[in-house]
Amino acid sequence: MNAWQIFYRQLVELEGYKNILVGLQNTALIAVFGLLIGLVIGCLLAVCKIIPRNGWITKLLSAVTDVYVAVFRGTPMVVQLLLIHYVIFPALGLHIPILTEAILAFGLNSGAYVSEIMRGGILSVDAGQTEAGRALGLNYGQTMLKIVLPQAIKNVVPTLGNEFIALLKETSVVSFITVVDITKSLQNIANSTYEYIIPYIVLALIYLVLVLAVTGIIKLIERRLRASDRR
Amino acid sequence: MIDVKNVYKTFEEQPILCGINCHIRPGERVVIIGPSGSGKSTLLRCMNLMVTPDRGEIYMDGKLISPVDPTLHNGLTRNGKPDRRAIRNYEKDNRLDINLARQDMGMVFQHFNLFNNLTVLENLMLAPVQLKLMTKEEARAKAVELLERIGLADKADVYPSTLSGGQKQRIAIIRALAMNPKVMLFDEPTSALDPEMVGEVLDLMKELADDGMTMVIVTHEMGFAREIADRVLFVCDGVVKEEAPPEEFFSNPKDPRLVQFLQKVL
Ligand SMILES: Nc1ncnc2c1ncn2[C@@H]1O[C@H](COP(=O)(O)OP(=O)(O)OP(=O)(O)O)[C@@H](O)[C@H]1O
Ligand SMILES: [Mg+2]
Repeated sequence: MNAWQIFYRQLVELEGYKNILVGLQNTALIAVFGLLIGLVIGCLLAVCKIIPRNGWITKLLSAVTDVYVAVFRGTPMVVQLLLIHYVIFPALGLHIPILTEAILAFGLNSGAYVSEIMRGGILSVDAGQTEAGRALGLNYGQTMLKIVLPQAIKNVVPTLGNEFIALLKETSVVSFITVVDITKSLQNIANSTYEYIIPYIVLALIYLVLVLAVTGIIKLIERRLRASDRR
Repeated sequence: MIDVKNVYKTFEEQPILCGINCHIRPGERVVIIGPSGSGKSTLLRCMNLMVTPDRGEIYMDGKLISPVDPTLHNGLTRNGKPDRRAIRNYEKDNRLDINLARQDMGMVFQHFNLFNNLTVLENLMLAPVQLKLMTKEEARAKAVELLERIGLADKADVYPSTLSGGQKQRIAIIRALAMNPKVMLFDEPTSALDPEMVGEVLDLMKELADDGMTMVIVTHEMGFAREIADRVLFVCDGVVKEEAPPEEFFSNPKDPRLVQFLQKVL
């Protein structure tokens, strides 16, 4: 049998494709929900940073945000993953599915990056928008939620897209905590057949296709958002 | 209706307001004029606390909306220092929450500041609905009625970026009106407009005046000021240098700086 035949046999006859589909699903779940959690955390952190610092609470929030961002940006994702899985969650006595753990870990990490992106996005919204909201009697939170954040997110869609792509690729390290993602599933095929070339090239191609697809979707969203400006 | 008491404001070590006093009575149209950078906008923005005074106080309908300035009261200081407890008691009886106060004070900006992420209709409905002053249906009905009044009903579902400056400003005005405010504050509402659009905005403001709306207007449109104002204030060097009914203000100015200013602009 040549390498192709071995790969085909492993994939189809030995039902390796099922593992790959599970891996693909896990990769997608971690990336998508990681980003969603990251967006929520990122928006909250960005607002904590931007809120006028005139009391001790807001100063504390701002300091906490600084520490958070420094920690999550200052250590490798793999290390965070290992710490969360082997140190923090056991210490807290939490027993949750590893996939959920992975999603949380990537969400927390992504939150740090998204917060910096969102901060820029919020600052790019004209101060007049906030003023108009506040002048109508809306409070700070309502103004943020209904007026500033929607515009900020729209302004940073391209940058958020890049963050999502980075996140998607970074999920390839989750097998460190035994989650089977797309990388792990093809690695398993390679290891069980001792044929490495095809599985790893296929793996690379899968990531490439995923990233290209995401890039296309982001372009589409951007175009839609721009169109809604000019109705 | 609005009471500005001995207000001071400094920006970046530059004193802008230096003990301003003025009182806006219900139903009155007050126009504020003055040289560029003299603090007209700052004064107007103090009235709804978009700018917080360093010293002095702002009252709306007799209720305090700014921080307390203990030096303006008897019994709120002790040995020359603010008396925290007395101040708290004073606030308990006299404080009006600023967000509530702002619901009664419409503000119109030089640069319109329509919400870019919302359609015209959504711009008009957002605050009344969010603040639970109206149901969605009521807010929509009110918004449509206001749009019809200014002849822009066909623009209900477009986004602000597609509108002309004059249309934007008229919608900004009715956005404030949708809250049924007691007083409207205008900060140079026509300064950012192309000349051919100034008229439509001024006409709408005149309509409001005819309906009896209380209005405070910062403007450089002297003809309009003369026509609409019950009283004109000249703000210069951080204080109200002169105030008078428009006929007297424009035909018989007393303050030398005002005389100079009017010579330049008229
Ligand atoms: N938020 C701010 N921070 C710093 N400086 C400010 C701020 N707001 C106003 N100033 C300064 O205060 C001065 C007075 O401003 P203000 O806008 O009240 O003047 P104005 O009379 O409205 O002038 P104009 O006719 O140009 O609108 C200006 O020099 C301005 O640069
Ligand atoms: Mg001004």
